[in-house]
Amino acid sequence: MYVQDPAFWRAGAISSTVVMSIVLVFLTLDSLSAITTGGRNVPPYTVINQAIDYKFDATLNISMPVIGGEQLLFGRKYSATEAEALMDIGKLVIQSRACMDYHTFFGNGSYYAPDLTKAWLDPVWRQMWIPMTQADSKEEAIVRFLMNPEKYPNWGRQMPNLKITREEAVATTAYLKWMSAINANGFPSGFKTNEGK
Amino acid sequence: MYKSEELALKYFAAAMVLFGLMVVFGLLSATHYVQRGFLLNKLDFSIAKIVHIDTMILWLLLGFIGAIYWFLPGELNRETVGIKLAAIMFYVLCTAIVIVALVFIFVQYGGANQFSLWFINQGRKYVEAPRWAAIGIVLVLAVFCYNVIATTIKAKKVTGIMGVLIVDLVPLFALYFIAFPAITNMSVDLYWWWWLVHLWVEGTWEILIGCIMAFSLMQLLGTERRIVEMWLYIEVALVLGTGILGLGHHYFWIGTPSYWLAIGGLFSALEPLPLLGMVVHAVYDAGTLRMKTTNKPAFYWIMAEAFGNFLGGGVFGFMMTLPQINLFSHGTQWTVSHGHFAFWGAYACGILSVIYLALQKAHQVAEVNGVRWRWSFALLNIGMIGMVGALLISGIAQAFYERAIGGSTLQAFIEGQSNPWFMQGMTARLAFGMIFAAGYVILIYDLLAFGKQRISQATVLRPA
Amino acid sequence: MRSFDFIDTALLLGLFVLLAGCYGLFYTIGELRQRRHWINIGYVCFFFQAVITLLIVMCAPLGIGWQLLIIASCIACFKIPPMAFSYLKLIHG
Repeated sequence: MYVQDPAFWRAGAISSTVVMSIVLVFLTLDSLSAITTGGRNVPPYTVINQAIDYKFDATLNISMPVIGGEQLLFGRKYSATEAEALMDIGKLVIQSRACMDYHTFFGNGSYYAPDLTKAWLDPVWRQMWIPMTQADSKEEAIVRFLMNPEKYPNWGRQMPNLKITREEAVATTAYLKWMSAINANGFPSGFKTNEGK
Repeated sequence: MYKSEELALKYFAAAMVLFGLMVVFGLLSATHYVQRGFLLNKLDFSIAKIVHIDTMILWLLLGFIGAIYWFLPGELNRETVGIKLAAIMFYVLCTAIVIVALVFIFVQYGGANQFSLWFINQGRKYVEAPRWAAIGIVLVLAVFCYNVIATTIKAKKVTGIMGVLIVDLVPLFALYFIAFPAITNMSVDLYWWWWLVHLWVEGTWEILIGCIMAFSLMQLLGTERRIVEMWLYIEVALVLGTGILGLGHHYFWIGTPSYWLAIGGLFSALEPLPLLGMVVHAVYDAGTLRMKTTNKPAFYWIMAEAFGNFLGGGVFGFMMTLPQINLFSHGTQWTVSHGHFAFWGAYACGILSVIYLALQKAHQVAEVNGVRWRWSFALLNIGMIGMVGALLISGIAQAFYERAIGGSTLQAFIEGQSNPWFMQGMTARLAFGMIFAAGYVILIYDLLAFGKQRISQATVLRPA
Repeated sequence: MRSFDFIDTALLLGLFVLLAGCYGLFYTIGELRQRRHWINIGYVCFFFQAVITLLIVMCAPLGIGWQLLIIASCIACFKIPPMAFSYLKLIHG
């Protein structure tokens, strides 16, 4: 009886693994094209020069990033090369300080600190942090917070001082802005920004 | 005793030390949640967590490698090829682990530059080890693969189990290279990172533990090779048949196309089905033996493996795997509860079973039983179930208040974390963590005190 | 999915698999001991799993594809324990 023959099951193991792996490879090629910067779900780094929002789309039934007109970051416009250099540093900050071992990015990481997927769009910056840091812009407020989190009263789970330099804080802020423009199929759901208010 | 078996015992000892470190840093991490300002700027949560999860990955890996070194000579009827080199690599690995841990704890962070990635912390979850240490792990794995493959070639014997093991080692080894790059684009970074994490713990590791369990069942229950090999092939077919595209359940929200919601949801929803078969198999084996065996702890830990895998991976996983649910449960303590239970059930229990089997043979004990192992078995499992239950409650509260109601803003996060259900769950988790820790202490005592009774050669029990 | 629905649905899905496991457990015990009442307990567990399947399909806000997946899983869960047991008996001889 074939079900008693190990060769039958060995063939099954090989074929199921091979078929699924091939499908995965094809899906990977398509996914990579979608998530490479400039792909259909991930904007180019120069999106940091534009206004970003996140709104519920009734047709798709999920929240989607909305890319608007020009919005300078730190009072200037970044070229493609400059933006990429900034992103490289920003990602190195995130890795060198192990942010993924406190926070989550697209829900991945650790759950001790807030999710940072749409952190750039969080209404708390305008409501609380701009006045607290006495900054003249949201990005400046974020930079001041990152450089000296211990200076600003927090709800109780204090962010440690990770010796982030100004250059690193600027890059991280830009990185958060770019990240907030990625289409993550509606995650996080129900995130209300107050952009444009 | 073969040198390979001697090396295996060293690997098991190292695994148990790392298990202990994992418990200590787990308790520290848990304390961070319930006590404000705990060790702030001295040993922050991230460092405690990094040591906790990295020692978890490492102790399981050391357990796997030790198990293979243990079973290899018996399977191929010869000493492992290159065993001297393997023994050297063991000490290289231990030294590297100590240095990396000390740097994590005392240096902690560097600047945003390549030096930090090479020598301090790479900052990608589970693979935070700096690149120099990652190279060390590559070398250890390379030597391990060489040992396995070269011994098989020299023995001129490729059994079914060895065939599956060798084929599995190729992706296991290759996938680890994903621990190296620092990709700027977070979506692309996470895409590849999940190839490593998922295709290790829900792919190649499943096959590896399957091979190890096959060896164990032949030794513990006297099961025929033909039978364990068939089950191994069935397991590969079902686990990889569902698990390879089940990878998609990590691709719901990272910026990848929306077809992953359907693909990932479908395949990961199928993943519990092979686990149901595993439960039937475990009960069948237990029943035909009428629970009699010459190594009670090994047998009970194998049963715990089957049931733990089903509950932790199957039940807890299925609860949160559909994208409609996952949208809210993702990135909360709900995930943590599933992760703890699944790792425990799928891997930890299996390795503990092998360690008891190995010690029985090493000390030539005819029958392994007693009171101590029962206490450690009970406390470890009660501790684990209590922790995951508490985390489930916290996770559901967090998913509801932070994600569903609050929309995941900072304010919503604060409200979720301050919620009484959440906080009580985290306190209960710490309490059960202490019970788990007590179980670990008794486990170590039991293992160290092994072989006080040296009676006669171990015998394999035939089913009744 | 509305805020509260996802918790209900998640818990039902967890119970779904748990009951499948209970069915597998008691069915196998019953077959091993040749005792009908254990097998019947297993069937009772499956009955509750079927009820949960119906609840999920009728009440949870899932699309038709997902509903069919749950139903197919339920049927598979019913078949797996007897098939697995028969196969185990066959190969153990």
